[in-house]
Amino acid sequence: MHEEPFRWVEAIANRREYVEDQLAPGSPIVALGYRDGILLFTLSRERQKIFEIYDRIALGGIGHPGDLERLRLTAIELASTEGFARSADDVALRRLANYSLSPALKAAFEQIYGPPFLARLLFTELGRGDAPNLFLRLDYDGSIRTNGGSFGKTFEDFGVIAGKPQAIAQMESSLREHKHSELSFAEALRLAARTWSIGHLALSAESDAIVPAAARAEDHLREQLAHASVEAAILEKNAPLPATFRALAEDEVRTALA
Amino acid sequence: MNTPAALSGNGPADFPGILRHHGLAPEPPAHTPVTSHQSPVTQTHATTILAFKFADGVLVAGDRRATAGNVIMYDRADKVLEIDRHSLMAIAGVPATAWEMARVLEHSFHFFRRTQLAEMSLEGKVRALSKLLRDNLGFVLQGVGVVVPIFATFDAAAQIPRVYFYDPMGAQFEAADFAATGSGSPAVRAVLHHENTYARKPLRKLKASEAVLLALRALDTAAESDSATGGVDRRARVFPIVKLITSKGIETLPDAKLAKLFKSNLTD
Repeated sequence: MHEEPFRWVEAIANRREYVEDQLAPGSPIVALGYRDGILLFTLSRERQKIFEIYDRIALGGIGHPGDLERLRLTAIELASTEGFARSADDVALRRLANYSLSPALKAAFEQIYGPPFLARLLFTELGRGDAPNLFLRLDYDGSIRTNGGSFGKTFEDFGVIAGKPQAIAQMESSLREHKHSELSFAEALRLAARTWSIGHLALSAESDAIVPAAARAEDHLREQLAHASVEAAILEKNAPLPATFRALAEDEVRTALA
Repeated sequence: MNTPAALSGNGPADFPGILRHHGLAPEPPAHTPVTSHQSPVTQTHATTILAFKFADGVLVAGDRRATAGNVIMYDRADKVLEIDRHSLMAIAGVPATAWEMARVLEHSFHFFRRTQLAEMSLEGKVRALSKLLRDNLGFVLQGVGVVVPIFATFDAAAQIPRVYFYDPMGAQFEAADFAATGSGSPAVRAVLHHENTYARKPLRKLKASEAVLLALRALDTAAESDSATGGVDRRARVFPIVKLITSKGIETLPDAKLAKLFKSNLTD
């Protein structure tokens, strides 16, 4: 198999199809910058999907729980040893993703006799001082997409992931229509919830339909809220200690959403 | 740096283990002969740190002097270190080892919370420091790394303050009312015992401002007879580090406030 390049390409294509299939039901995760930091939001049924990685870095992930766990622990380990050996200021999401996680994911994906990681990750890093926030999507094949600000791409103060590309595209185009960097916490939370709902609707849509109307998204959100638990966390700009991550209590989120 | 332990799926779960995996843990030099004829415990731990419980929580204070033998190295050392939102570690002993220990401890607690998705229990935190001290035994026996810390925290479950002190080998003791270690500790213990037993009210009934004043006086008294303790340097306006832990978190007293409190209560 290895000696024949076409077979290899075919195997990779099959593998891609398989992984995409496995990820497809993954419920969306929304992260966006607001006045006081970054908000991460999702609805979940069974397990936690939003995690603290380091002082200014958070992670949202969909996929197989075993793979997510390994990647999450790897990210924490790398950030913690870097922060310990040098300084917390030297821990950088870009480096963590580009030099450590992406090569590991790519290697696992392309070594076709080993198992790939069934995972799609959304990392966010709170900007220091006036520096912009970083949102970074890391996929099972090691590919990286960030929120821009370079190579002619306009800077976007948000990042999303979901099981299907059309859900991601619809959430992104919906978020592009809103200026949210100056929103209050409650406003940002409502926008994140509505965006989540748009993404969730797109997961079950037949084709790449147009973005659903706001009212439809609100209805869908209300239905889903009744059956799932809300998960949200913030990276706070004005946190009292260097660790800026705070997971929000379910009550706190539901009260703000009501 | 080695391949992340977590990627192999069977890596060590605690932070000191991770540090060893990456070759970042401090190791005592292997070929230095261990000198066992001289008891390391009799070494001076040149400094004074104290902690006692007052009405709202626990106060932790330390003088600012760092010495090497009879040389004063530094007069602005900070020996009271914040470990997390409700925990302080005060250190007496060899600064190089002690600060490193505080860093390992701080990272350990964060690492545990991030990986296990829960705050480490109070007992776990107390034991973590104990284990670090035990791991440090090699340095202690070589006479280069004695650390005698005090660990103070606010027990969120029981809503009460707690104070622990240690011996250089890692045995931990919970203090009922107060603890003091370092070269000036006999004087501090005498002052605190006297206040607690014979004064108008016991330590645990003191208001915050009264507690702070008592800490300043106790450290200044220790400095009176111990050259390795800084006390209150009136001329250079260097004050001890004083921090309070209450249910709300940690408060560091600014120098200006310490100066005002101390000055207004001196005997004429």
